[in-house]
Amino acid sequence: MSPRQLPPVIGASVRRSDGQDKVRGAAVYGMDHVEPGMLHARLLRSPLPAGRIVRLDTSRAATMPGVRAVVTAADAPHLSGWVVKDQRLMAADEVRYVGEPVAAVAADTVEQAAAAVAAIDLEIDPLPAILTFDDALASDARPIHPARDTYTGAGPGGGNVAWESGLERGAVEDAFAAADLVVTDEFSTPRQHQSPIEPHVAVGRFEQGRYVVHSPAQYPFLVRDRVAEFLGVRSSAVRVIVSTIGGGFGGKLDAMLEPFACLLARRTGRPVRVANTRAEELATASPRENAVVRLRTAVRADGTLLAQEGEVIGDNGAYSGETVFCASIPPVLLGATYRIPNVRYRSRVVYTNTTPTAAFRGVNAPYCVFAQEMHLDHIARELGVDRRELRLRNVLRAGEEMVNGQPLPDAALVDAFDAVEKVAPWAELTAARRPYRGVGIAAVTWLSNPGPGGATVKVNEDGTVTVVSGGAEIGTGAMATSVRQIVAAELGVPVEDVLLAQTDTDSASFDGGAQGSRTVFGVGNAAADAAGQVREQLLKAAADILEAAPDDLELAEGHVAVRGAPHKRVPIATVASTALWSTGPIAATGRHIAPPLPFDSACMSGAVFTHFVAATYHVHLAEVEVDPDTGAVRVLRYVVAQDVGRAINPQMIEGQIEGGVLQGLGYALLEDLRVDGGRVVDDDLESYRLPTALDAPPLEISLLENPCSYGPFGGKGVAEPPIIPVAAALGAAVADAIGRPVHELPLTPFAVLAALRGEQDGVGKELA
Amino acid sequence: MTYSFHINGHPVEIGSAAMTGLLEVLRDELGLRGAKPGCGEGRCGACTVLVDDVPVASCLYPVALAQSRHVRTVEGLAAPDGPLTPVQDALLEHGGVQCGACIPGVVMTLTALLERTLRPTPDQICDALVGNLCRCTGYHKIVEAAVAVGRGEER
Ligand code: FES
Ligand code: FES
Repeated sequence: MSPRQLPPVIGASVRRSDGQDKVRGAAVYGMDHVEPGMLHARLLRSPLPAGRIVRLDTSRAATMPGVRAVVTAADAPHLSGWVVKDQRLMAADEVRYVGEPVAAVAADTVEQAAAAVAAIDLEIDPLPAILTFDDALASDARPIHPARDTYTGAGPGGGNVAWESGLERGAVEDAFAAADLVVTDEFSTPRQHQSPIEPHVAVGRFEQGRYVVHSPAQYPFLVRDRVAEFLGVRSSAVRVIVSTIGGGFGGKLDAMLEPFACLLARRTGRPVRVANTRAEELATASPRENAVVRLRTAVRADGTLLAQEGEVIGDNGAYSGETVFCASIPPVLLGATYRIPNVRYRSRVVYTNTTPTAAFRGVNAPYCVFAQEMHLDHIARELGVDRRELRLRNVLRAGEEMVNGQPLPDAALVDAFDAVEKVAPWAELTAARRPYRGVGIAAVTWLSNPGPGGATVKVNEDGTVTVVSGGAEIGTGAMATSVRQIVAAELGVPVEDVLLAQTDTDSASFDGGAQGSRTVFGVGNAAADAAGQVREQLLKAAADILEAAPDDLELAEGHVAVRGAPHKRVPIATVASTALWSTGPIAATGRHIAPPLPFDSACMSGAVFTHFVAATYHVHLAEVEVDPDTGAVRVLRYVVAQDVGRAINPQMIEGQIEGGVLQGLGYALLEDLRVDGGRVVDDDLESYRLPTALDAPPLEISLLENPCSYGPFGGKGVAEPPIIPVAAALGAAVADAIGRPVHELPLTPFAVLAALRGEQDGVGKELA
Repeated sequence: MTYSFHINGHPVEIGSAAMTGLLEVLRDELGLRGAKPGCGEGRCGACTVLVDDVPVASCLYPVALAQSRHVRTVEGLAAPDGPLTPVQDALLEHGGVQCGACIPGVVMTLTALLERTLRPTPDQICDALVGNLCRCTGYHKIVEAAVAVGRGEER
């Protein structure tokens, strides 16, 4: 479909349906949800990173004022896990991280619950904590999970390796032997916390023999299944109702407090609210994993990449969330942007006695891309080749294959480089070298999450349309604008007339969650499919009224009209209400599954993510200035060119880019969730420094329309990826500014000063 | 102790311990749940309300200090069934709202700024917003919205 034929609502920056409530302070978030007779819960959390529980006595706590119930592992003994079922709701005999829940109390007030938690008698016999990759991977390391191999869903690996994935292609040794130059680097990156403004919170009740929980859940069907698994009931015994969500960024995909609210509600017969304090949020709510990336690359003197070996180690923490699920992304991602014919990649996710890590927007891509792009700059430096030129020489072109053998027929990386060049000509930026000023450029190919989903569209008797789906509006506007626009376009109704039912696992079909930019792509496709069926039903019902064949009818402006005779038309409201008695109510459920794509599965092992669905292409450029006295980095300019498939709501997409870039800037320059002796050091927002308005860099954005043949109106995932190349672009710009390589994040003023003094190491070069 | 002050133009009397945070009083006693408990430690600004037209972090603001003062919250800006204020409308027009958890605080900060400074510059706006963390938007569209209100584009 050419842009001219697109319905005008596609590409319109319409307002969000939840906007009025949000600016008036009327929206009910998870943190605002209250119920009559509601109790409050607090958790007893492990004070030690590792040890055996030798005494857990709740008898005194149970008799304290206001206390209604105290629960421990004995009350929820079942193993659960998103992928690897290695965790219980509360520690049974052993604690494995500081902050691990050991018991929970429900009481009339939060203060009473907290007092009772303090009165629980807990004695732990400490074990030596395993906190680093070296300790965890040592040949004589104590296994953090001795029963690892028996867990349901246990992945490839062993010992403290929770999951191992690899990819091998071509003749790696031969290519290294033939290389003009071999370059090696090691990079290490910190934990980054999602820190949505709304911390985790849940309110549960027990009703008609089932658990009902209100939660700001990004992936309500996963939360449903996890609550059920923790509590040992079938999944239909749990109903998740999604409140307004006060930010998630991956942190609210998996269940966290919901099972406690449900268990305590069952025990007390009252609704129970559980909420994290900000300190609990930072210390226990699964951040992006810290990681180490080692790269070794063989190149020809002209800059052609010949081969690469890569090793990625990510910290799982003490239990498995989404981090293991994503272990197979680095091997594909490292070879998704540039042509590297011979590779050997290994990715491992490692257990440590630290807070479990999980998804944060972009999952492991920000550090893999940081490493790959810094490494390319290193290669360019060694060869004396221009950095942008090196990239253009090796970047994948349309029709070429990624490292997994998947062809990219619509690759638009060169277009993205061109778009950035138009805004910020590289030669100009690099010609006039000024001290302590630098530029960096980075590219990435990314995916739209392929998870399946369904959506129901029904036409109401007043002519409005309701979408019932499991799609969660996490703030991106994917549900509140784009999915409504897609349905409005399909049915020719005003977008204001497309309404969203509250997301509820009871009424919606399964949905793969608000993750990996999948809502517009997945829910949008399912809703478009449903709307297409609804259109057929409307035309059939209207055919009788208009005395015309369905094929001669069209939908526009809220009416069904005879094509070519626009005065012969009938409002959709009339069609829908008449249809009640002729064809029956007008409604349909649509489905979305990602189409199969060709790739070479033989080159991979331990792979969950094998290929990139609805791939998108991105180039970012940064210009920075470094203060040599303080080490402070000022971002003078930031340029983004992003393939968005189809810009269904350009303003919302820009908002995703602006927000994603600033989160990426936080990762690159400010945020470091430090763990010391197993304890999270940065457990308030003073020491864990989120970007403020003063940190927001000037931004120049180009949206590239490169329609996806199987996305709604050509749409692809757009919200997740803008965070990904930011650390790479900024890191490269800082390295350029100070004339020193950079191997670690974040580039705080202290780190920059250290790098200026040459105190960062990890640079390696072998001339073949 | 009992404290009397005005909330959104209406007199209230609150029986409460002196150090109770104003946010708790607003949310739990007065049913005004617009201001958000984002951190409870004075860092995020989601709980921002105006006390005698000055933005304060209500989570740390002892109710005793509100005695005889005028407190304004997000609920008091536009009538629930009336049109939005220029700041509220501009935030939507410019796409400055994503999850919205920060927005009640942002709206109050910007309202106070625009009452003091008719045409704030982007720098003045960023300075004013430094106590309002927004994890979603990257702030650009929030700043654009405030600039537009200052220019009188939103009425
Ligand atoms: S809740 Fe008051 S500043 Fe965060
Ligand atoms: S819109 Fe989500 S924190 Fe500001």
